[in-house]
Amino acid sequence: MNINPVLLKELKVRMRGWRAAGIIALYLLILSLVALFIMYTNFMNPYSSTIDPQVSIGAYTGLAVIQFILIMFIVPALTAGAIAGEREKQTLDLVLCTKLRPISIITGKLFASTSQTLLLIIATLPLFSTVFLFGGISIKEIIQLFGFYIVTAVTIGCIGIFYSTFLKKTTAATVFTYGTVAFLAFGTIFIGIFYLRIFYQWNYQNYLPILYSNPLAGFSSLLAGQLGYSGMGLDSILGFYIGNSANNPKAVKTIDPWLANVIFDAVLSVVLIILSAIKINPVRRSIFSFLRFKRKAKKAVSDNV
Amino acid sequence: MLNIKNLNKKYGKFQAVSDLNLEVPEGEIFGFVGPNGAGKTTTMKIICGLLRATTGEITLDGVDVIRNNKRIKEKIGYMPDFFGVYDDLKVSEYLEFYASIYNIKGQEKKKITDDLLELVDLSHKREAYVDSLSRGMKQRLCLARSLVHNPRLLVLDEPASGMDPRARVEMKEILRNLKGMGKTIIISSHILPELAELCTSIGIIDKGRIVISGSVEEIMQQVYSKKVIKLKVRDKIDDAVMILKEYPFIDKLVSRGDTIQAGFEGGDEDMSRVLSALVTRGIPVVSFAQLDGNLEDVFMKVTKGDDEQ
Repeated sequence: MNINPVLLKELKVRMRGWRAAGIIALYLLILSLVALFIMYTNFMNPYSSTIDPQVSIGAYTGLAVIQFILIMFIVPALTAGAIAGEREKQTLDLVLCTKLRPISIITGKLFASTSQTLLLIIATLPLFSTVFLFGGISIKEIIQLFGFYIVTAVTIGCIGIFYSTFLKKTTAATVFTYGTVAFLAFGTIFIGIFYLRIFYQWNYQNYLPILYSNPLAGFSSLLAGQLGYSGMGLDSILGFYIGNSANNPKAVKTIDPWLANVIFDAVLSVVLIILSAIKINPVRRSIFSFLRFKRKAKKAVSDNV
Repeated sequence: MLNIKNLNKKYGKFQAVSDLNLEVPEGEIFGFVGPNGAGKTTTMKIICGLLRATTGEITLDGVDVIRNNKRIKEKIGYMPDFFGVYDDLKVSEYLEFYASIYNIKGQEKKKITDDLLELVDLSHKREAYVDSLSRGMKQRLCLARSLVHNPRLLVLDEPASGMDPRARVEMKEILRNLKGMGKTIIISSHILPELAELCTSIGIIDKGRIVISGSVEEIMQQVYSKKVIKLKVRDKIDDAVMILKEYPFIDKLVSRGDTIQAGFEGGDEDMSRVLSALVTRGIPVVSFAQLDGNLEDVFMKVTKGDDEQ
């Protein structure tokens, strides 16, 4: 089997030294503290019995939400420098002048950064498994959750790679990636609210299509579907409120918001990868060259007259 | 082997390369000389498929470089003038990475890496991290990298820039080895003398145009003589050379086919004396002329040396 050389090299470099281990350690530390905190507060609750599925559901939700937010913060930082960084370090030309196809460079970079995130996600599996201690969560649900994590991580990775190829500086690419993720997570909600306020005075009964692109809404609909609960404090966060089918029953009639979000993510990722591969190819024909050629021909004709 | 026809490259309104024509036969070491910003790097990048030409055609062994990008890239090894290396990568891993891009695997990959490290004299550094190498070593490593897939044409953009004199000598030695291996090499520099002893032919470029190109002898003579005369004869070229050699103000004679080119340091009177001597001694002179002197500017720039950088 041929492993993409860029991916192989990236993995080697990224995993070398203390940095990778440090990131994993820090990440696990944060999540463990969260899990510990949730369990501790639940155990200290004088009204609950010692073995209560509610504890595990609380811990599961807490961990899932924190991990999701961490992914949204970490992936842009890991990917936005992928191509722009090579350009800044003047190593990009060296790869481009080889016979490696532009799309392989892009996918190699993407999977390298995604697999680092994947490692973080998988490293938290033991933490998640503590909830089995108390019951209430099945393996299928955990697999579903982790699948959603991976899809989201790859999509945000594609956004990062896209900006990394189109913008020259890593800093700019990072800012734009965070900006886009923030827009998808919060901007779409604001647009939705304005839309509902202006045109429907809140009487809208369906799920707003724009929210299918919202990772938070997708994520909360997944959680809500899994746990079948409504509320528990999270509803105060708008994305969760909208994504929760209990609050918005008609939404689920057509398609589950999280499934729609996964489809949206897949389409967006493919488009962004293709655009990046076209952009990175130094001898590509400009999309506008066709127009320019036409204009030139016209000019030549008028010159002859 | 490499053929460039009417190459043009525009960056917006700026014409970086204009109507450049060039032919590099197999086995040559072609020196591409010109002041900074003359269009050397642009031309080289176009050859290697890193830039798109505005107009023009480049063929390698008769195959269009732009249209058959991927096939051509296997035949060309490119070393840019400025380049970076990856952090956290060892010298051997660096080469193995590029080898794996060309589908070189297993034992073969290891052997190629070893051979190349030996060629550029970096075997003792194979376990060192790439970013810990000195500049000269990095440049040698980059040269080794461009050789990973055993290309027939090497395009080297200022491979000796920023090196200390000792490193330059080492680089030249490596290039001489490569020449011995039968590689065709295009090498650029903004200093003519640097290339003169290494190359078989030279082209001087300024403001995107080839000002002059030819064998090293021809170029050197034109650069270092105040005036250059060129004469064409119908026959008896050896006799003509003998006669010209009698005059102390004529030096650096080059004859090829039916033309002779020579450096000339006399006045107009001396020139007419030479011509009449040739004619009276029975040499069938077809033409006798002094070559254009307006190359001076360019030559000043390309011969001045390192202080420009």
